[in-house]
Amino acid sequence: MEYVSPEGLRLDGRRPMEMRQIRAEIGAVSKADGSAIFEMGNTKVIAAVYGPREVQNKSQQINSHALVRCEYSMANFSTGDRMRKSKGDRRSTEISLVIRQTMEACIMTHLLPRSQIDIYVQVLQADGGTRSACINAATLALADAGIPMRDLVTSCSAGYLNSTPLLDLNYVEDSAGGPDVTLGILPKLDKVTLLQMDSKLPIDILENVMQLAIEGCKAIANYIREILLENTKQLEYRRGV
Amino acid sequence: MEYSSDGRIKRGNHAAKMYIIIIIKCLKTLAFTGMVGLSLGERHFIQGGIAQDLRSDGRKRLTYRPLSVETGVIPQVNGSARVRIGATDVIASVKAELGKPSLLQPDKGKVSLYMDCSSTADPAFEGRGGEELAAELSNALQNCLLGGKSGAGAGIDLSSLIVVEGKICWNLYIDGLVVSSDGNLLDALGAAIKAALSNTGIPRVQVAAGTLNDEHPEVDVCDDEFLQFDTSGVPVIVTLTKVGRHYIVDATSEEESQMSSAVSISFNRQGHICGITKRGGVGLDPSILLDMISVAKHVSEQVLNKLDSEIASAEAEEES
Amino acid sequence: MAGKSGATPATYSPSLTTSDKKKKPPLFNEDWVRPDGRAFQQCRPAFFRTGAVNAASGSAYAEFGNTKVIVSVFGPRESKKAMMYSDIGRLNCNVSFTTFATPVRGQGSDHKEYSAMLHKALEGAIILETFPKTTVDVFALVLESSGSELPVIISCASLALADAGIMMYDLVASVSVSCFSKNLVIDPISEEENNQDGSLMITCMPSRYEITQLTVTGEWSTPKINEGMQLCLDACGKLAKIMRSCLKEAASDSQE
Repeated sequence: MEYVSPEGLRLDGRRPMEMRQIRAEIGAVSKADGSAIFEMGNTKVIAAVYGPREVQNKSQQINSHALVRCEYSMANFSTGDRMRKSKGDRRSTEISLVIRQTMEACIMTHLLPRSQIDIYVQVLQADGGTRSACINAATLALADAGIPMRDLVTSCSAGYLNSTPLLDLNYVEDSAGGPDVTLGILPKLDKVTLLQMDSKLPIDILENVMQLAIEGCKAIANYIREILLENTKQLEYRRGV
Repeated sequence: MEYSSDGRIKRGNHAAKMYIIIIIKCLKTLAFTGMVGLSLGERHFIQGGIAQDLRSDGRKRLTYRPLSVETGVIPQVNGSARVRIGATDVIASVKAELGKPSLLQPDKGKVSLYMDCSSTADPAFEGRGGEELAAELSNALQNCLLGGKSGAGAGIDLSSLIVVEGKICWNLYIDGLVVSSDGNLLDALGAAIKAALSNTGIPRVQVAAGTLNDEHPEVDVCDDEFLQFDTSGVPVIVTLTKVGRHYIVDATSEEESQMSSAVSISFNRQGHICGITKRGGVGLDPSILLDMISVAKHVSEQVLNKLDSEIASAEAEEES
Repeated sequence: MAGKSGATPATYSPSLTTSDKKKKPPLFNEDWVRPDGRAFQQCRPAFFRTGAVNAASGSAYAEFGNTKVIVSVFGPRESKKAMMYSDIGRLNCNVSFTTFATPVRGQGSDHKEYSAMLHKALEGAIILETFPKTTVDVFALVLESSGSELPVIISCASLALADAGIMMYDLVASVSVSCFSKNLVIDPISEEENNQDGSLMITCMPSRYEITQLTVTGEWSTPKINEGMQLCLDACGKLAKIMRSCLKEAASDSQE
């Protein structure tokens, strides 16, 4: 199948290095300590953060650090074919773990000993790149909750189809079976916190694809920073400062 | 008592320490008794407010919080809606799939309701924690919206879902998701389902000529022609929550934690009851129950009008 | 069941106070008779017996026509270690069907739903404060199902709880009615349940005159609900008398 037309356009009309439209909104769940909605094209996720709070299960308490937990779940209507999956299947357990580890790396857990931070991400619409969207939403929600972080982690995926590196794969491109690199970076510190890849890719091309993903992450980071600034301005305005 | 910067007691005798330990113990038991973990003072405040017809958020006993409807929020399904009542936020989606009617009822389609409580709404819903509530909500909604066994009082006319009798019908899958919960989930889900159904377009189906009598008739699903549902018969659900001697509509989760029992009654446009379910174990006097039914009937008319106008404006906004 | 032959099943039916309200059946229903030949407001013969299971702290067997249910109660016994401390007792209900309960093998109704309903119906009647930190398990088994299982399970479970000596405010009796256009039919059998326009089930504590659980499906007008509720409450009162006499009989037997 042809994923990039001779004119250099992808199936949804994007250029190879073009990202889908992103949109973010802070404060979607009013009861949570922090929450955010993040959209990348047709992919839409909600993240809610509860904590830092008392550790619920005392045996899990860590005396020197905060305990970070994460749960990823997909809504029944999130995919094209309606499916009913129970929570805690293999895929969602794996993604929960990935998100947890990525977020744990940027939260300054040593400042919040003996406490617990819960991150819940709910996928409302899945169209490829849910992993990245979840991490971006979780970053925003953590920032909204006022949890100290080293930097804003952002994530973006990139692939390699028809000998062309492609940024931000959608579902059709993702299921093509080609290499799919999901990258998470700390943009200010210029550090990689998450790198996953399926399938095979020559090393020199991986470099290109990764560079593309890094560019995507940085673009998202800029957007997230803007949203946060706007949100802070709003808060300031409401307080009458 | 004085505290040093690291939170330990600097001065103060043994009795003071004991006092603190007792306070901590009290707090812990409080956290176990009420799900929301309210103090005695807060509980009295809520109960007293309800008794005086002035609730903590300034509402009267029979006033709803502001309700907002947004339709067409999920693009990949046939119909969807998001309903917000105060801080409660739910999404409902309707997906139609072609299937085979059951042998017992060859002239009817099928409607299945599945509710889900997202852990974003409450950390207690994590893992399998939300399943119990989800099952209770699904059952209650099934009771209130789908009518009796023969189909009387159903919000959805099941025989309208038939394509070829005994062979092909539409199966409607209604999924609900609680995104944020601040009480009154059942009313919100009921409203969201009603809105999602009015947003639903079922593709027109043409049965290929000559195959009508075959075992598996060939059908042609149009992609651009949609049939709308008649949702005027879909009832609304009104939940009356009894706190102390009084009952209130649209309880927040703080108020729900103080309830003795709650009765959810669904009404349709004609003012007929389409289903009742009761939550909470405490018994109710039959006369009070009848009183609640008549009050709920009155409230349901307002809710129905409000919801219909919200749905209409949401649809108009989506089209523009 | 042993001992069944000796006892003549007691029949009960609600008083006809509501009969003046009862509308004339419409023409197409004029000569309609119920499949088992009962009058519209006549219940099936009810039979109760306590002490059906020796190993349990309390148990009861109930038979309403062909609906046969056995309920055993275990406890109060220590709650599972994983459960948090609670200063009131816990109630755990489970309803299951035998594979031969229904005409088609292994096609019982939704047990989870029934279990939840049984729990909701009983929790208001049991004085849970009397057994903190412990759990009472109520296991119901439907031996044969032929309509109105849930009301039978609930009534039988409250009898089993009484037999186990669990403190209760009152016995819980439960009755359902089916609605067929204008007619109300009490204690429906499965054939009627499958064709009903609507159903109403009430579980109540007759001596306290309190409703602990209520479910209504289908379309009802307010006067119709009134009528149905009166009918059910009346029948519940009568049913409770039969349950009470069963308990008394068991007590006097054990004294002898």
